[in-house]
Amino acid sequence: MPVTADPPRWAEALLRAFLKPDDFESVSGDLLEQYRDSIYPARGKRRADLWYVSQVFSFVSSGARLFAALFSAQFLARTTLDWFLPPADFHTRSTVSTALGAGILLVAGFWAAWRSASFAAGAIAGVLTAALASVTSIAGAAVMLAFWHGPQTLTAIRNSGGLEEVFSSPLIMLLPGLFLGASGGVVATALRRLVLVFSRSQGC
Amino acid sequence: MSQMLGAFEQAVLLAILRLREDAYGRAILKEVQKRLQRNVAAGAVHATLERLAKKGLVVSRLGAGTPVRGGRARRFYRLQAKGVHALNEAREAADSLWHGLTWPLKGYLCL
Repeated sequence: MPVTADPPRWAEALLRAFLKPDDFESVSGDLLEQYRDSIYPARGKRRADLWYVSQVFSFVSSGARLFAALFSAQFLARTTLDWFLPPADFHTRSTVSTALGAGILLVAGFWAAWRSASFAAGAIAGVLTAALASVTSIAGAAVMLAFWHGPQTLTAIRNSGGLEEVFSSPLIMLLPGLFLGASGGVVATALRRLVLVFSRSQGC
Repeated sequence: MSQMLGAFEQAVLLAILRLREDAYGRAILKEVQKRLQRNVAAGAVHATLERLAKKGLVVSRLGAGTPVRGGRARRFYRLQAKGVHALNEAREAADSLWHGLTWPLKGYLCL
């Protein structure tokens, strides 16, 4: 008996926002085929929907992972320097680190929106990058603390803002991730339109 | 020797080779899962196909959809000569690495 069940519309919309326009029809068709002919009959509606969402996540997060890794790397590098080579004034280091982090989120949004020609993809990429980076940054800081927690290190941690700052600042980046990713997305979609107009005027 | 294929790239290329004119996204995913005997995310196969196309090892075209897909087109893939060459090189390298050893490995001491 043919199954005509449909996966969650919001998940499909997320997939559309994130994929290149040329890819959406074939990729969403592949997922729908698998959803209808094997996943839904075997698992029922609720678990089939969960499966579909996890598949969409695998598409959407693949690009964000690289930027999340870069973001975590710069955060953990800054944390390491603060703990083992504390400066007299943290302001400069903090400014550089914040600018780097913001730049990574902007580029993540730009890249996602450029690929998919969708501004929404930029915003999603920014949030996803910040979310993934929070998990790895906090985990990395926890591992560092497990190895190094002598009196000198704890003093350096206190002087650089304390453990609350180490474990909460990655989470604070979620909302900026949304705005910075969206900003990168706006720039990318505007640039794509300009390139399209220019290439049409050249007869390409 | 040109750039070596990764294991997953080989799995996807061999799936395309086996499926011949039926090598579209979903079928490739099923074939890879069957051969590797594990679940594989559709995103991983898609990313690999994209990478292989960028390297010039495969080409694709859109084909007719089916009712179970809501009529959505399928993207069919085909090996290019460069892809066949890359697979041959990968097999040659694997054979060279295993030359003189019996599979499965048994009785070798781990120090």
